[in-house]
Amino acid sequence: MIDLSEYFGRRLSAATGTSQLGMGMPAVQQVGAHYQCQRCQQWLADTDQLPNGAWYCRQCLQLGRVTSQTKLYTIPEPNRFSPPESPLTWTGELSPDQQQAAESIRQHVQLGQNQLLWAVTGAGKTEIVYPALAWAVTQGWRIAWVSPRVDVCLELAPRIRAAFAAVSQCLLYGEQSAPYQYSQLTVCTTHQLLRFDQAFDWIIVDEVDAFPLATSPLLQLAITRAEKSKGQHLYLTATPGEKLQRQIRQRTLVTTYLPLRYHGYLLPQLRVRLAWRWRERLHKGRLPRPLIRQLLAYLGKGQRFLLFVPHVRDLPEIMAELGQQGVRGGVSVHAADPERTGKVQALRDQKLSYLVTTTILERGVTFSNIAVVILGGDDAVFSTAALVQIAGRAGRSADFPDGEVTCYVQTQTRVVRRAQAMITRLNRQGKQRGGRRP
Amino acid sequence: MTRCVWCTRTFEPPVTLQDLLRWRPLPVPALCSSCQERFTPITGAHCPACGRQQATTIRCHDCERWGTETLTNHALFQYDAGMKAYMQQYKFQGDYALRKALQAPLYRALARQTYDVLVPIPVDQHTWLTRGFNQVTGWLRDQPFQQVLRVKADHKSQPQSAKTRAERLVTPQPFMLDAAAAKIIANRRVLLLDDVYTTGRTLRHAANQIYLGGAKAVTSLTLAR
Repeated sequence: MIDLSEYFGRRLSAATGTSQLGMGMPAVQQVGAHYQCQRCQQWLADTDQLPNGAWYCRQCLQLGRVTSQTKLYTIPEPNRFSPPESPLTWTGELSPDQQQAAESIRQHVQLGQNQLLWAVTGAGKTEIVYPALAWAVTQGWRIAWVSPRVDVCLELAPRIRAAFAAVSQCLLYGEQSAPYQYSQLTVCTTHQLLRFDQAFDWIIVDEVDAFPLATSPLLQLAITRAEKSKGQHLYLTATPGEKLQRQIRQRTLVTTYLPLRYHGYLLPQLRVRLAWRWRERLHKGRLPRPLIRQLLAYLGKGQRFLLFVPHVRDLPEIMAELGQQGVRGGVSVHAADPERTGKVQALRDQKLSYLVTTTILERGVTFSNIAVVILGGDDAVFSTAALVQIAGRAGRSADFPDGEVTCYVQTQTRVVRRAQAMITRLNRQGKQRGGRRP
Repeated sequence: MTRCVWCTRTFEPPVTLQDLLRWRPLPVPALCSSCQERFTPITGAHCPACGRQQATTIRCHDCERWGTETLTNHALFQYDAGMKAYMQQYKFQGDYALRKALQAPLYRALARQTYDVLVPIPVDQHTWLTRGFNQVTGWLRDQPFQQVLRVKADHKSQPQSAKTRAERLVTPQPFMLDAAAAKIIANRRVLLLDDVYTTGRTLRHAANQIYLGGAKAVTSLTLAR
């Protein structure tokens, strides 16, 4: 006997017990001359055939291989929940600005509209959604809170668990061991949505502009399919991409806008300094003089800092050079680092005085009092959104709303200027709402 | 511009002067340089019996433990984290396209071996149905091979990789010879081909059967040790 609730609103392969699940559909189907995966909707290459004749999909292999001999089963979502009367157990308080944004989101949710919450870094986006989420839960809706970043999901899940203590919840991501449980609230990475089919009444997409969602049609499709045909979605971002900004201008997407941080101070601006041919000099074992001076001054004051660099392969050279110049007491961290979470925590606990990192720490991490330095901000890996997010690491705490953000570039590029312009624009609007300069 | 079969990123394959002077179509590598570096080739000193990378060229501890039941094995790569990650995706997740990643090094290694008949280690029926391919023959491009070994029907299909060393060593003979085998291997030099040499149990079982078929000599080649 299999647990049928596993198949509610999902698109899963099954080994046994097919009689209760109906016919199912082949996981890989021939469409014209080509084959298409029915789980991720991607086309197979002409070479993706196994010697036993089956076709298999390489795109969603990480979720377990499906072949033309596999069958996928689904049971339409029955919304079998018993929601509590007042699900919100969060005791914090929203600022007047947050309150206003939260009210606007709730109204649009009740009208069934797709919408966007554009709130600056450190505005408290998660909490702003709580009132609307509480309302949705009482309606018996099935809701997913998804993000392309696993770090964001891992940070989010305990917060939501505490804020909605009586609501059934589950957290899904790639390397986890806990089994799937049918529950009203699902926190997961966007990849996991490939296993769902018309399941959710409301999908909240956190950090909608983050890699890899922004550039992946596969994941965008996953969101569309996991949403019910009468469902809706809410995008959360601090830095909407070009496409979203166009939709905002054309007023095709309902937008709630919050240009001020929760503590009421304006965003720190990017300060740009020139570092001529820094990469060539780095290969000779030299870092820009002003950078070294700045970092030594931070160390002298006991100010912790983050140094962002473009590539993982730059890290060893930079670490060696920093050590030589007497900038000690920090380590480097990158995406594949097994001790990544430990190192981030060590900086938070003041056991380290700095971290040298790549764009992996650009969003979803909070340090209470931190200075930010970017080396090579004109490199192609830093998008406008990435630079604004990185600058948003500084001054997040109400006790230390002031934070320096310095960006060393070889040339002033359009991307850097656009990032500055975006911060300036947000701050101008923030000022109209009574924002203060720290 | 070529796409790496493992990390799926595009890269520019390096072109050497030798490639140009050869005046043939340029070789298209399956892996980008960073994926290629995840494999550690076995070079220099290694165990003469099992091919393991070590500091000396005397038989290693594990080979001594086999006593007189000798088998000469050559191995291409060390069985380290990179190779494990590769095997995980290729064999256990079943990403058949990854076979291309190691076809070229295996091609060169086979060219250095002396043998008459190439015999890949077979997979059992259940694996064939679920995995859909034999991971060993996947690495062969167009080298001729003879599938003279079969897995016995009554053989319990618990994979070797899920067992401890002690459990592996007591594994009963899983192979039998194909009916037409004697004609093919009698009085010939046979090279067995397998993916990983761990304890050497599987390869010795296979070698024993091949000897029963009348082969003159049996050696083996594995991708990893």
